[in-house]
Amino acid sequence: MRTFYRCLLWLHPPSFRRQFGDEMLWIFDQAANTQGALAICSDGLASLARQWLLRSGCWKVVAAILLALVQVSLGGVALSRVGPRSMVRLTGDPRPVTLATAAHQAVTVPFVMYLALFVLGGLLLMILGLGLWVKSVSARRRPVVLRVR
Amino acid sequence: MTEDFSPFLPLSPAALHILLSLAGEDRHGYGIMQEVARQSEGQYKIGPGTLYDNLQKLMTQSLVEESRRPPAHDDPRRRYYGLTSFGRGVLSAEVSRLETVVREARVHLRAPRRVT
Repeated sequence: MRTFYRCLLWLHPPSFRRQFGDEMLWIFDQAANTQGALAICSDGLASLARQWLLRSGCWKVVAAILLALVQVSLGGVALSRVGPRSMVRLTGDPRPVTLATAAHQAVTVPFVMYLALFVLGGLLLMILGLGLWVKSVSARRRPVVLRVR
Repeated sequence: MTEDFSPFLPLSPAALHILLSLAGEDRHGYGIMQEVARQSEGQYKIGPGTLYDNLQKLMTQSLVEESRRPPAHDDPRRRYYGLTSFGRGVLSAEVSRLETVVREARVHLRAPRRVT
């Protein structure tokens, strides 16, 4: 069980592990008999989830990626609605255009513009998310001031 | 000038118990866990994961700080933590808030129920 707990500690974010890992292992050695090794391990699992999801700021990266995916999906829907019709207007072809026929058509200027807009939007969202994450990481690395008595 | 503690309130149960355990003296992690169990008469126990997760947050908020290790013969893995003056202020503000809640609860529990 101690090896399992060591693995749990090893899976924590490096800064947290460096700061508290040794103490947590020491407490495991002290309290495993009184509190129960299983209870301490389940507490370690909860701590692992909290550290990665809440404290490390990883949720911001996940949120940024999800937002970018939503944006790209919306872009795809918009392209399927607007893109082929605009191509019809440009080419003057009266036949109804579906996604399948549009795929075989030549790449037009509006198509490239839509694509560039969607890709740029997605990139902006990801940069925003990454920026927030980096800001939170740098804020957490404030030096610890020791109290002098 | 009085400090504004309202952004830190209400404290989570774990944070409240940790600050309370450090109010009397500086303690190491295991000492905090034992003191929390003692103060709550065994009704509230925190594991090391919860403890250090909260300690990290409280240190980032400058409510708790690492103090110098008092005994020279102590285990080198033990690190001691203590309340900052700001942390003491936050704890006092939280206790005052809880006193108001308890007072209000007692008044309402004593009063006969009204059917509307």
